[in-house]
Amino acid sequence: MKRKRFWVINVLLIAIVLLGGCKDEESNGTNEVNEDNRTLTIALGTDMVSFDVHNHNNTSTEAIHINMFNYLVKRNNDTGEIEPDLAENYENVDDLTWEFKLKDGVTFHNGDALTSADVKYSLERVATDTTLLDHANYKTIKEVEVIDDTTFRIHTHEPDPALLNRISRIGSSILPATYIEENGFDHFLANPIGTGAFEFVEWARDDRIVLQAYADYFDGKNEEWDEIVFRIIPENSTRVSELLTGGVDMAVNIPPSDWVRVNENEGTYLAQGISNRTLMIFLRSTEGYPTRDKKVREALDLAIDNQAIVDNILGGAGTPTVTRVGPGDVGHAAHLYDTYNYNPERAKELLAEAGFKDGFEMTLHSPRGRYLQDAEIAEMVAGMFAEIGVTLNIEFMEWSNYLELRNAGENKDAYLLGLGNSMFDAANALDYYRADRFIGQLDYRNDEVEELLVAAEQNMDAEERNEQYIKIQELLAEDVAHLVLHQESINIGVVDRIDYTPTMDEMIYIDSITKK
Amino acid sequence: MNYIVRRILQIIPVLFIISFIVFILVFIAGDPVALMLPDDATQEEIEQLRESLGLNEPFYAQYGNYVFSTVQGDFGESFRYGQDALSVVLERLPATFELAIAAIVIAIMIAIPFGVWSATKQNSSIDLIATGAAVVGKAMPNFWLGIMLILFFSVMLGVLPVSGRGSFAHLILPAVTLGTGIAAEMTRLIRSSMLEILNQDYIRTAKSKGIKSLQVIYKHAFRNALIPFVTITALQTSTLIGGALITETVFAWPGIGQLLIQAVNTRDMAIVQACVMVIAVIVILMNLLADIIYRILDPRIKLK
Repeated sequence: MKRKRFWVINVLLIAIVLLGGCKDEESNGTNEVNEDNRTLTIALGTDMVSFDVHNHNNTSTEAIHINMFNYLVKRNNDTGEIEPDLAENYENVDDLTWEFKLKDGVTFHNGDALTSADVKYSLERVATDTTLLDHANYKTIKEVEVIDDTTFRIHTHEPDPALLNRISRIGSSILPATYIEENGFDHFLANPIGTGAFEFVEWARDDRIVLQAYADYFDGKNEEWDEIVFRIIPENSTRVSELLTGGVDMAVNIPPSDWVRVNENEGTYLAQGISNRTLMIFLRSTEGYPTRDKKVREALDLAIDNQAIVDNILGGAGTPTVTRVGPGDVGHAAHLYDTYNYNPERAKELLAEAGFKDGFEMTLHSPRGRYLQDAEIAEMVAGMFAEIGVTLNIEFMEWSNYLELRNAGENKDAYLLGLGNSMFDAANALDYYRADRFIGQLDYRNDEVEELLVAAEQNMDAEERNEQYIKIQELLAEDVAHLVLHQESINIGVVDRIDYTPTMDEMIYIDSITKK
Repeated sequence: MNYIVRRILQIIPVLFIISFIVFILVFIAGDPVALMLPDDATQEEIEQLRESLGLNEPFYAQYGNYVFSTVQGDFGESFRYGQDALSVVLERLPATFELAIAAIVIAIMIAIPFGVWSATKQNSSIDLIATGAAVVGKAMPNFWLGIMLILFFSVMLGVLPVSGRGSFAHLILPAVTLGTGIAAEMTRLIRSSMLEILNQDYIRTAKSKGIKSLQVIYKHAFRNALIPFVTITALQTSTLIGGALITETVFAWPGIGQLLIQAVNTRDMAIVQACVMVIAVIVILMNLLADIIYRILDPRIKLK
């Protein structure tokens, strides 16, 4: 009898705990969709790194920052044109000098007006402090000369045709100089203020970042949303479950295995867009490697059916290409995009001509899980190489080991890598083909490409520079320097009440997210 | 009292040895710089950053600097967060404690009744079911169990939140996920120690004196079966505080486990060191606490 009573008490206790939870949940209302809800919750896969805008080098961190801070100019994601943001207007005074005029009425979140001194502080900080992770992209800036409160000049060491692209991206946000000087940088990191449409409320690491609409934003207060919550949910299946149950309004990086589930679920859809990250297989042109021979490289390229990879592994989301410079980038060669070379018969002939009639064996180093379906893609490429008699041994590696191996030049015949281009300029993308960058690692060299790269780098004639970059891409495609596979897609799960289209730069612009 | 002071002082050499081992491991694991820069960073950029972060200095110099700052309570700055590492770690403790305690409470609530029951009803169908359930509970990976619980309770039934930390409801699924495996282990332990004690003479004496069976079980037998149970509870709590990596990741629970796993992935030396130190101190204190509880449970045990 007593034992029975004991059991009843135990079962009751467990039930109370569980029911207590359910009751609490109901009052929480996380599963209810409220049409008037002015809070937007977005699930990210990784936490923000820091509020130091010049020192994180992390796209998902910048996707948050973009709503709190501004650049001087911004890139229009539809047209690819550079447009004013904090700057009212700008002009190229001479090859080494750019003059900018700031907009009136721009204030930081503490009410201080934005002045040229803030620009000087911010850009000179990232341009001169070598410990900052974004320094390398800004070292072309020599100094910022303050003319008056709203006018200033940027002087560069050498002619820098990519300057406007440079200052419209990660690492060029404008910080409040006076606020930081008065309170110290650590205080700023804990209580960051910017000029953006949303101001800081809270950051609970690995949990959430909360922002609220800034009433005095120079472009007008955001009309749709009062509060933005970025939640950090590292596990893919959990992030998808949160979206399906309405726990979040948007979830980034939906894995291909869940695309159908998100689309078929009542109340959610998959918003897809093209990213400017290109997946490539880099080949060694070092003496002694079969891929030193152009014919072998060409054969490998002809063996790969890029469209089949996109269709079968990426559910059709991706664009085959033979150039890394994508649409929207300065110097994009449209005729080399959305196309690929596939001809296994010709590939076999080329191998025979190169002296590899019976094929050969080569090794590919590949990360696993860093890029969309990277491991599956590597395996499919191995299958395609087998068709022409080439045995591809894949060594999957943990990312940090992979980087170390590459940086030490211990990579074998090939490695798989996906490269983005936040500069949206061919200079950034094509720098990877410069011979002296990869001595002992890739050893690719094409003297004509070298000459054109040097000429274009400081060419202030935009049209001529564009042509030079297109010519470079044609030469690289002809030479099959490396194997270019496809541009990746961006896949974001969204609830039906919201309208959202991903942008190529992988930023999350809150002002582009509207209620239906 | 002397015993407790002595045990606390022992922490110092233990921490010193642990710090040395962790330092060597992280040092061997490699260079954080390449992970901090973009995928297409040049060799020159990597070299420059390594130089500015002092990573080009020889091992003994780096370790010397590290020990010198650590004894002053400075674990250094996190490469990733650019902030004092110890404060980043300490920020996570409340979440970690909350989850660990909830998991242990759930485990105890399941383990004690089931363990005692299967011992008193040895080889009965109840015993077989409880033993079988314990094996299944122990064998289920947390990763799988967590996702299944989310699918059932959150996606299908919609009664509990999927992830995150906030209300009491947020705690239930991660705590059950963590608690199940521990409960399984505890049930087995309580069952075996109860079986041993129930066959002792003093239990037979108690029974023959006509004391009610529930009183014999819980007052006479169970109290004596508690010592191994306390050991396993202390060990499990320490493990939970340092090692709920998978459960924290599945449920997006912002505890030390998640922090540590990311710090290891990004080779954020200062955070790894600070995490390990904090966890080590907790483990040592938990073991000390277990020793003190032994003394309370069994006055014959002397703390020397």
